Amino acid sequence: MNDELTATFTQPCAQCSAVNWAVSDEGRFYCRSCHNVAERTEDVVDTTFTPGSARISNLTRRSRTRTPDRQWWICEGFQFILKNQADALVDLGVSAHFRDQVLCQLWRLYLQKSRQAFTSDPIRSSAHQLRITDSDVDSEGSGSDWSGVLGNSVHLSESQRQVHTLMNMRRTLALIHLALVWSRAPLTLSDVIMLVRAGLLPYTDVYEKLPDKLKVEGVDVLTFRVHNVPSHQELHTEAQALVHFLQLETFPPISSQSQLHPALLSLRYLSDANLPDQLHPWLLHLMKRAAVEDQTLYTFDSTSCPVLPQHDIQTVAIIIVTIKVVFGLNDCTEWDLCDVDDQSEAVFSLRRWFRLTQAALRSAEQSRNQLICRTQWKSGCGLYQNRRSRSLGLKRKRTSDQVQRCFQNLSSPVAARRCSSSSFRFCWGGDDGADGPSLHHQKLTSVLTMNHNMLTPTNATYWLPARCTCYLDMHKSHFQDMKAWLPHSFLQLLNFFSFLIDVKPTVLFQEVLNLERRLLGHNSRTRTKTRTRTLGQGTETAT
Amino acid sequence: MDDTDPDTDIVNDFEEDKDSSDPFSKRGRQSKLPVPEPMFPSSSGLRGFRQSTTMCLEHIREAMLHHRWQEATEYMVYFPQILQSTSEGSTQQNKELVWRLCTEILHHHPNSTLQDYNNIYERMKHSSSKHYLMISLEHAFHLMLHGCIEDAKHQLSVAQTWRYGKESVIQYQKTKLIHAYSSLLDYINWCDKKSANDGSDHDVLVENTEMQNSFRQVSSNLKEILKHPGVWDPFILSYVEMLEFYQDHTTALSVLKNYAHDSSFPPNPNAHVYLYQYVKRHGAPQKKLLKILKTLHVLVPSHELMLEYSSLLLQSKKSCHGPKALEILLDMLDFSCWRTNLDVWKLLKAVIEKLQLKPDWKTIILKRMSGRTDWWPALHFTRAHATTDSEENPELWAVKASLTKILCPDVPQSYVDAGDTDEEQIHTAL
Repeated sequence: MNDELTATFTQPCAQCSAVNWAVSDEGRFYCRSCHNVAERTEDVVDTTFTPGSARISNLTRRSRTRTPDRQWWICEGFQFILKNQADALVDLGVSAHFRDQVLCQLWRLYLQKSRQAFTSDPIRSSAHQLRITDSDVDSEGSGSDWSGVLGNSVHLSESQRQVHTLMNMRRTLALIHLALVWSRAPLTLSDVIMLVRAGLLPYTDVYEKLPDKLKVEGVDVLTFRVHNVPSHQELHTEAQALVHFLQLETFPPISSQSQLHPALLSLRYLSDANLPDQLHPWLLHLMKRAAVEDQTLYTFDSTSCPVLPQHDIQTVAIIIVTIKVVFGLNDCTEWDLCDVDDQSEAVFSLRRWFRLTQAALRSAEQSRNQLICRTQWKSGCGLYQNRRSRSLGLKRKRTSDQVQRCFQNLSSPVAARRCSSSSFRFCWGGDDGADGPSLHHQKLTSVLTMNHNMLTPTNATYWLPARCTCYLDMHKSHFQDMKAWLPHSFLQLLNFFSFLIDVKPTVLFQEVLNLERRLLGHNSRTRTKTRTRTLGQGTETAT
Repeated sequence: MDDTDPDTDIVNDFEEDKDSSDPFSKRGRQSKLPVPEPMFPSSSGLRGFRQSTTMCLEHIREAMLHHRWQEATEYMVYFPQILQSTSEGSTQQNKELVWRLCTEILHHHPNSTLQDYNNIYERMKHSSSKHYLMISLEHAFHLMLHGCIEDAKHQLSVAQTWRYGKESVIQYQKTKLIHAYSSLLDYINWCDKKSANDGSDHDVLVENTEMQNSFRQVSSNLKEILKHPGVWDPFILSYVEMLEFYQDHTTALSVLKNYAHDSSFPPNPNAHVYLYQYVKRHGAPQKKLLKILKTLHVLVPSHELMLEYSSLLLQSKKSCHGPKALEILLDMLDFSCWRTNLDVWKLLKAVIEKLQLKPDWKTIILKRMSGRTDWWPALHFTRAHATTDSEENPELWAVKASLTKILCPDVPQSYVDAGDTDEEQIHTAL
């Protein structure tokens, strides 16, 4: 009898992949090889079609009836989410101080400011409540009692304007970023985004980790549903808004010993970009010349630095300007400097560096594209707005899963995809799987000369793009216009670093311009300038 | 800026870099420029779910176009999430996309099994009402090609009973197709049974009830379907074969006549061919055969049955048939596919010889050839043709040579001369 029952069930066992089933005393299927019990209702791939059975089988009803006497609030849902995210970061190596002291306090401050908790007069409007689903409860019946969040926000009164500051998924990341900056953890915003993309920081499907009590349906689905990973700029804007909302005065100072300060952060980027370590002292020298080593520039302060600093972008801009000073980057000088007689392996050559990094960049872009292709946006139980869309969604999901399974069987076993939690994009060295040989130890003798007993860069010119007198915000479009006139090596460098920290080249270019402005001063009349139009329209050279 | 072009072979290049002192000169070895990445412009502005699915689709398409089927399979593992897209307009398109991509990849993947096909077809069938019938049909074809006739029949019978409100009404054309193929499968069954009982007597076979059942199913289905205009060649043939077996000649004849002469049906020369063959099999008078062939001649002057037509005309006693035969053969020879066919030329010679018994044969021939004098010599009677013909088929050359003077009297006889000299050369060589 058992054999007849098990003959039809040909699903391989989840643990040992054998097809050797037997029926236990309780009537459940178990694998004879490894005694793994099968969940038969889920795993059977039923390919026979019987008319009328295309409907979804009824989900099992909840065994215990839940009495809706406990109101759940949206902020409680977000609390779970934040906790999950913070735990993930602590698991990855961030100190627990970030989660326990900083993030907790910020969250409480937020709740207090938005009057959802920790206050004597909390808002208890339906806008802040979580609509619970219950498969036993008719959704139409309960729908009449609630008015949706969107409905509330349309008719805004003074108190209800605070609905705009309701937490959403993006703001959770912004809050995490603020907490990281406050606790001076060495994770920049671009690192946070990278972790989200790699799935190491729960974001896309973190709502599945919400406890069963908080099953969401209706309009609240929109709060927790995630459509894309936010970009660097978007998160920065959110973080800025949050800082103002929370009325934070001053952050703990980012001194030059802190890992978020460019002095130390640049070491990390130089290493990741396979640039020689000898470049670092020149970088520090440049920072001194441009007067950008002061910690006030990197610490948020409502009076002296009202814009939340972007440490990653600022550091990378400093690196680019340093390379520009030392090598010229005008499509002529840097190649002339490479033509020295001494081509030994101990000397750094920019040409070699470009070749290495371009190849590594291409393969890194390819793997990033593959990661994008592989991201599953609708896995898990999913969030649906009503019963009809739930049944439709589940049916589609079933079809999609089964087609996927068919091809999974055909595809080769997945090679160990390096889901590395390292914040380095590239790996340089002699090991297997490295992107190329390491150039960190090489010397910059080809580009430096002795001048009055001091090492100075051989390159004596520095070019600037034509200055524009418009407001800062309008610079965004200028990069696209200027791109045609900028030297190719500069553009390639810009592209490379913008890939490294996952920002748009426009943003990086803007920061480079800002830094150059500081370095060379706004007031240019005191300097002698040779206006030689060597590079065509739109550039000037300064000595 | 040649020097900034990246090379793929980094390690080798690294060592060679030290040797070259002049970077602007071309190196001794070819610099290996990498093949550029395929450009994916369409996914540049998208984010999130749409970016993932669009990029995935582009990778799959690239892989398929370059026949990298394993890579296409890898990407296909992640693509089906597009079926869960909630954007209203594209759900049907997505389903069709997934269906066709999956089947194409399965066709080419070395490890795909029939079970995989069955799974995919079943899933996609039940997910889409607009494509249900087409997917069923394709599934049935696939099973037929792999010899699983019963399964194919089962699929088609399930599809026949499918009802889905307005959808099944809108797709009535496809339903007809399914009925037709279902009856074709019945016919195959019938043939199998017939050949299984091959040793038995004909009468015994006629009495065979299973076979009769199949026959009844087929005839009921096809009677309905053959009323609708269309091209139903394989179904007609199978139906007629069955009717002949059961000695129902009147029905068979009426079916074929209908198929050939119904003006609402698209013009189909095969219909006339089938009718002709049937009528010939059952010993019809020559007049009837000639009539059928006449209509066929109008439709397809280059048909191989035209040979038969003209030989029939040749054998007939009527005097008007002689010139007609000539006309038909000349029409045939207008087409280059008959150029080197000996039978046609021989028949033409015979026709001309018969015509030469009449006094005015020259005018008859000239009249028929009047429209052809400018281009027939180039088509048939050039020196090149002479050389090839005399080498490959001397008999053909002889026949053609004898006809050149008659058909094209005003043209210089290069064909004959060229062939003659070749013959002489051959003779002298031997």
